[in-house]
Amino acid sequence: MKRKFSAAIAALFGAVMAMGATAQADQLAEIKQKGTLVVGVKTDYPPWGMRDANGNIVGMEPDMAADVAKRLGVKLELVPVVSSNRIQFLQQGKIDLMIATMSDTPERRKVVGIIDPVYYASGVALLANKAANIKSVEDLKGKPVCALQGAYYNNDMQSKYTQTDLVAFKGIPEAEQALLDGRCVGFIYDDVVLIWKKAQDPKFANFEVVPLPQWPVVPWGIAVKLEERDGPWGKFMAETITDWLKSGTLLELEKKWVGDNTAWLKEASEKAKGN
Amino acid sequence: MQRPTDRNHRPHLMEAFWDFLRSLNDAYGINLVQFYDDFERTRLLRGMWTTIKLAVICIGLSVIIGIIGAWLQGSRHRILKAIVQGYIQFFRNTPPLVQMYFFYFALGPQMPRVVNEYGIAQPMLGSFEWAVISLSFFAGAFNVEIFRSGIEAVQKSTIEAAESLCFNRWQTYWYVILPLAVRFCLPALNNNLVNLAKTTTQAYAIAVPETLYVASQIWSDHINVFEMMITLLTFYLLLVGVIVWLMTRLERALAIPGYGR
Amino acid sequence: MRAELIPAPAQGETGFTAAAFNRRAFACVIAAFLLVVVASEAVAQIRTTGGSQGIIDALIKWAPLILLGPPGEFGGFALNIAVSFLAMAIGTAAGLAVGLGQISLYPPVRAVSWAVTQFFRNSPWLVLLFFVMLLVPFQLKIGGISIPLPGWLKATFGLALPIMANMSEIVRGAVNSIPTSQWESAESLAFTRMQTLWRIILPQCVKRMIPPWMNWYAILTMTTPLISIVGVNDAMTLTQDALAAEQKTELLMPMYGMLLVFFFIYCYPIARWTIYLERKYAVKI
Repeated sequence: MKRKFSAAIAALFGAVMAMGATAQADQLAEIKQKGTLVVGVKTDYPPWGMRDANGNIVGMEPDMAADVAKRLGVKLELVPVVSSNRIQFLQQGKIDLMIATMSDTPERRKVVGIIDPVYYASGVALLANKAANIKSVEDLKGKPVCALQGAYYNNDMQSKYTQTDLVAFKGIPEAEQALLDGRCVGFIYDDVVLIWKKAQDPKFANFEVVPLPQWPVVPWGIAVKLEERDGPWGKFMAETITDWLKSGTLLELEKKWVGDNTAWLKEASEKAKGN
Repeated sequence: MQRPTDRNHRPHLMEAFWDFLRSLNDAYGINLVQFYDDFERTRLLRGMWTTIKLAVICIGLSVIIGIIGAWLQGSRHRILKAIVQGYIQFFRNTPPLVQMYFFYFALGPQMPRVVNEYGIAQPMLGSFEWAVISLSFFAGAFNVEIFRSGIEAVQKSTIEAAESLCFNRWQTYWYVILPLAVRFCLPALNNNLVNLAKTTTQAYAIAVPETLYVASQIWSDHINVFEMMITLLTFYLLLVGVIVWLMTRLERALAIPGYGR
Repeated sequence: MRAELIPAPAQGETGFTAAAFNRRAFACVIAAFLLVVVASEAVAQIRTTGGSQGIIDALIKWAPLILLGPPGEFGGFALNIAVSFLAMAIGTAAGLAVGLGQISLYPPVRAVSWAVTQFFRNSPWLVLLFFVMLLVPFQLKIGGISIPLPGWLKATFGLALPIMANMSEIVRGAVNSIPTSQWESAESLAFTRMQTLWRIILPQCVKRMIPPWMNWYAILTMTTPLISIVGVNDAMTLTQDALAAEQKTELLMPMYGMLLVFFFIYCYPIARWTIYLERKYAVKI
């Protein structure tokens, strides 16, 4: 009995040591060998990532993920992520690729491998209650503002402008509901989404989109694990994105899902064609 | 020769400490930004204060609800008893998180609205108030059961003695039964109140700016999850420790000679 | 100490006869829910402009998704139940080990077990859940094999930790409630400590441990919605997705109400069964 016990402890110890000793394998080869590409996408960010009536994940970014899987010749597995866990999932290796409306910031470049060229861009805006008469970000001092947990502008908004706690939720439906209930004067979020929501949802008739130029237009990045960015996997993704811009795939997808083409994407596509 | 105490040195000491913590980050990657950065530190302390407020208010309210509920359960009206029983069974057998969502998102907007100073018609009760209501009712349901088990442990002879001295039902309850019942059920009550202090973290989901909420904002910005976790766990262990210590002192002070050790 | 003789269930009922209220309490809750649904339906009828489905239809349409999860995936309320079973199993096994460690004869083992118990008992469940979700890697590589750890499995570990601590306390209390004479008699019959524990003491403890154990199972089941906060597709997440898809304010109360009723229908019979078992196994001193 005692010998079995110590043998078990020795085996466990050996296993723990072995865990640290595996070398970093080539992720592109791993994916091809696995036969599945695991991509993290949003499910609460229509129309870039959302669920349809049957529960399937659809949207512009799932379509992009499907194209990558097609190019690799593997199956696609979509994993729902939110802003506050997408980086951790990528770091832990739970997803191979992240196409989740993530803004490209220098801080984030330190922890995940954001691929160049970037594929989209957005600025920051406030979906404000018309009754509150918010014209600019200075009007927000001391007022409650709804937000999404984990967004990169939350910290600045709170420390520089509102000087009071943000009302931040983990999901957009809750934040929208709080906004409609009157619990905050506005909802700070990416401008492209707010414009889309305001245009096609009659619920927001009494709200207006106030652009916040304090935060410059930030590109969105597709990310892989930091160590893979300069490896074969990173290079493959860079080629894929360049091809999307050149061939107009992104413009088509944008037209299909968002309804119209934004100026930024048109410019970026022209630039890619020119190179 | 004694060094004169210089008041001006104290802020420099704190500054030196913050710089030391900053150097830890640069040298070893241990990011304690929640301490050395003024903004984050203030936020965190405010969050901890909100947790303490939430815990204290909920503990107080839930004890009151427990006392009232236990009183109503002994009433002679069947409908009253059924209502209290229904309340207890509902709050004990449904998740507190879903209860909080129900109160804040579903019931909240149905409340009458007041136009606040920014010109918006806002529901009367905000996230903090709804968290208090939800958690107090949740813990109150358990407290009713705990107080009732304490009440049942009071010997019949004591109650009969009170009756024979012309106490009416309310006086018997307040002067005779309740003091004894509280002493009997203090261990279970202690347990429940500690649980309540820990359940306040669930208010995170309805955007109450308590400790976990603020901590998650800090670790989203600075990606120092491990350091924040240690800070959080330390804080909650201290909070629970204080509550347990207070309750133990209360138990000792209220101990009845001749029962237990 | 009086409290130690019979391990008191943490937030449990201690033998009261409320059989008469069984059906009445149940009926009260169901009636309240129906009232909420009917009221919301009435409000919806008044407010509806472009006639869409009624509330009942919406509830029926989304109920399968909330109960079973998206097609092809395991999720929803079934996942909540599965997580509760698994977390209880893991927590009970680990708790037994730690509890026995607390009564060990070696001071270091006692100290470590005590520390582990106190630490996980007094930490908020949600913080432990975040800790496990964010800091435990997504897969274990042992040798050349990688064992994937899906999100719900990590969440289960996270929930099993406080259960382990509470089980350890229950085990310790139950073992301490066995009269010392049992140990002494076993010693006089030349049983080793291990044999005494496993053949004499623990079998007697099992009955005492069952009511608090079931109580903790009920508490655990009601804590499973927390996994929605850390990104697992359980009943809570799917209810929120359904509400987001429907975009109707009249549906808020009925849908959250329906979720509450699902949990109630599952937990209430367990609570009543716990009381029955408590009364049946009450140790008469």
